[in-house]
Amino acid sequence: MTANIIDRKDRPALDPKDFKGDVHPDWCPGCGDFGVLNCLQRAFAELGIPQHEIAVISGIGCSSNLPGFINTYGMHTLHGRSLPNAQGFKLSHHDMTVVAVGGDGDGYGIGVGHFIHALRRNIDLTYIVMNNSIYGLTTGQTSPTSALGMKTKSTPFGNPEAPLNPLTLALGSGAGFVSRVFTGNPKQVIEVYKAAIKHKGFALIDTFSPCVTFNKINTAKFYKDTTYDLNAKGHDTSDIKAAFAVAMKTPDGSEPIATGIFYQSERPCYEESEKDTLSIPVVDHQLGISPQRAKELKAKFK
Amino acid sequence: MANSTIVRIAGAAGDGIQSTGELLGKTCSRMGLHVLAYNSFQSAIRGGHVWLQMAIGSEKQYDHGEEPEVVLLFNKTSPAVHVPDVKSGGIVFYNAGSIKKEEIESLRSDVNFYGLDFKAMVDAVKLTDVNPVMINVMLAGALVQTLNLDAKVTLEFIKDKFLKKGEKVVELNNAIFNLGFEWTKANTKPLELKLKGNNIPKMFLSGNDAIGMGLVAGGLKFYAAYPMSPATGILHYISTLAQSDKLIVKQVEDELAAINWAVGAGHAGVRAATGTAGGGFCLMVEGLGLAAMAEVPLVTILVQRGGPSTGVPTKIEQADISLAMGGNGEFPRFILAPKDLEDCFYQSARALNIAEKYQVPVILMSDFFLSEHFGTVDDLDFSKIKIERGKLTTEWNSNEKYKRYAYTEDGVSPRVRPGTPGAMHLVVSDEHNEYGHLMSDVDAGLPHAREARIKMHAKRMHKVELMIENGDASPPILEGDVNAETTFVTWGSTYAYIKSAMVLLEKEGVKANHLHFTDIYPVPREQTLALFKKCKRLISVEANMCNALCRQILTETGFEITEHINRWDGEPFTGEYIVNELKRLEIKKKQLISV
Repeated sequence: MTANIIDRKDRPALDPKDFKGDVHPDWCPGCGDFGVLNCLQRAFAELGIPQHEIAVISGIGCSSNLPGFINTYGMHTLHGRSLPNAQGFKLSHHDMTVVAVGGDGDGYGIGVGHFIHALRRNIDLTYIVMNNSIYGLTTGQTSPTSALGMKTKSTPFGNPEAPLNPLTLALGSGAGFVSRVFTGNPKQVIEVYKAAIKHKGFALIDTFSPCVTFNKINTAKFYKDTTYDLNAKGHDTSDIKAAFAVAMKTPDGSEPIATGIFYQSERPCYEESEKDTLSIPVVDHQLGISPQRAKELKAKFK
Repeated sequence: MANSTIVRIAGAAGDGIQSTGELLGKTCSRMGLHVLAYNSFQSAIRGGHVWLQMAIGSEKQYDHGEEPEVVLLFNKTSPAVHVPDVKSGGIVFYNAGSIKKEEIESLRSDVNFYGLDFKAMVDAVKLTDVNPVMINVMLAGALVQTLNLDAKVTLEFIKDKFLKKGEKVVELNNAIFNLGFEWTKANTKPLELKLKGNNIPKMFLSGNDAIGMGLVAGGLKFYAAYPMSPATGILHYISTLAQSDKLIVKQVEDELAAINWAVGAGHAGVRAATGTAGGGFCLMVEGLGLAAMAEVPLVTILVQRGGPSTGVPTKIEQADISLAMGGNGEFPRFILAPKDLEDCFYQSARALNIAEKYQVPVILMSDFFLSEHFGTVDDLDFSKIKIERGKLTTEWNSNEKYKRYAYTEDGVSPRVRPGTPGAMHLVVSDEHNEYGHLMSDVDAGLPHAREARIKMHAKRMHKVELMIENGDASPPILEGDVNAETTFVTWGSTYAYIKSAMVLLEKEGVKANHLHFTDIYPVPREQTLALFKKCKRLISVEANMCNALCRQILTETGFEITEHINRWDGEPFTGEYIVNELKRLEIKKKQLISV
């Protein structure tokens, strides 16, 4: 393995079948998360990253079951805590490819504090949020991205809160890679996932992944009818003002919803600040203190 | 002539109480004397009233004591608070610039008062660039003279400390120190005191320093934390080593993050720890369960302070055992509590070994006093630290699918480090089978999932028995005369004060011994009960109201301790305090008998 802080070199493609896990997904038939799983497996295969060099780390929720269905290393942690686990893992073994996954409740609700700090910290990892604007596993309550007025089990008279905008939040928090895709357009999803994994630094892919059971508004048909590919329309991904302008639009279908890479710029990733410590992965460091060093440590207190 | 004494230094936060204490502590430790210093401070950066009390002696010091013999007072709040405590015949040096002679001297007639007029004294020798806060260096000079310490050693330390600020700063500090020293020589009577060090410099450090050093000696590579008193010192110390010793040290956004960062790092395969106080630990409890369920080694330092809620951040309490035992569901863990500075070092390294050997969360419990107090140690022996990584491997050559949670005889499964070819697997917070496949969603309740639940839960919990069988969980240690009439039962920093109380009691002809718990969970039941049987009268001594240790003992062994000495005003015990409380218990007992 080569250190990721230097560069991810293109390697020969692998067979996506080899990324299939032992367990068949237990998602509802038609769930958008199947699309995310499939595209992520293809992205890994096309980038030629061997299974054992990858860790997929999730929180809790329907979408957070994803690591169980992919043949890589991984962690299925606590609700909202995918990013803390992923960042701790990544700095300890930085030449592995780390992808954090989870839902909108996990990442933008209970875990939003970690999300903002991960954005500004800029550790080299990829974060896929399967955004369905509803809490699925708990059977249909409002989520941080539920539309204003949306009726759910916990908001039977309509959601009184304005939805959170993950893209402007990310842009405003210093993210170097901000994107949004829709699982109904797998070709685009695979390309953006690949670009995100190759990006040096924290990369967000907010992924519209419709819930077929509990969200009858933000359906696959809704997104099929309303989304368009921003990058096919000459959007300048290095222009943060242009990115903000598009990202600020509420994706409620009142006007076309942009997908693709909104913004990409490489600022030094966190690992650059620890170059010396990370000259080899921390997991491979020799443990313990030499007798000479022990003497020095003690001398500081004498 | 006495070979030990007690010094108190008091003033406002910002007066330089800490640096005066450091000057004195370092002078003593470099002379080969022993010191033990207690900081009584408030959660304020400037203005609050703070004091530091230091016991100094030729022998190891166990008690910061009640009555100081020499006192330095910096501000006008100080006399009323501290003069009443001074030992009869003792000496008080005070800042005559802020404390009125008439007012302070009217407080006691059996104490010698000496006011130092900083401004007049520096003006007399025409010192320039002087800051009034430097009275602390002048008073340190008075102290060094009165205690008959070696001024050369102090001056050497001043040089070490201030040289980076330039020669001039060193010279100025030397001059001010000498003003205090010479004035005292000319105007006061020295104490009848023989503080003789062996001239072999000792280490002078805090409990948090010792914990940090123990972790690093034990192979720590990763520390994530959120600042919270009194655990922050660990983060501070380890941070200083981040570059030189190639450690990942992260201050993260909150305690939820801190423990989960550490779990992620622990799973990746480094030795990882986090540390906090009780309030922060409350936020970490879910992460503790994650570590236990996912079987990821993890060390969490829990430094107790006055509680509940935000409580009293800068005072001592020992009331968090049930918190350390907390969490949803049942899961294995190991809890240990060092007793003094040396123990902070060795137990921290030991915690890392236990975490990896059993693949469990280990909680190292300290308390405000232990973590924040300073003292001397002769040596910390790094060669005693062995790093044992348990069933961790970076090879997987089998054709079979790797089972992260394989059922094994001892309940501990071989742990292949992520990144190893061919052994891809998932660690999970849900209940699972040997492969780490979830048994909680669509499988829940089905026969194979119920079987997995039964077996996997038993596999994890078996580790608790194994810790006892292997002798890793130790019974308490009984120190002193086995035939003693009274046995004190303690844990954590209270250890030292019992040592001191036993000396005082012996002088009064009372024989006591001491049963001290280091391992708080699991408790080896049979061995512990056997020790209780040897004791005639058991009295617990804990810095809490509700007897946390006794409750733990009752739960784990069925044995009830019925006599207690408690203190929860936030100040640490002293030997004298314990002796007085024991006398009170005696009176109570007699009254009960006579009724």
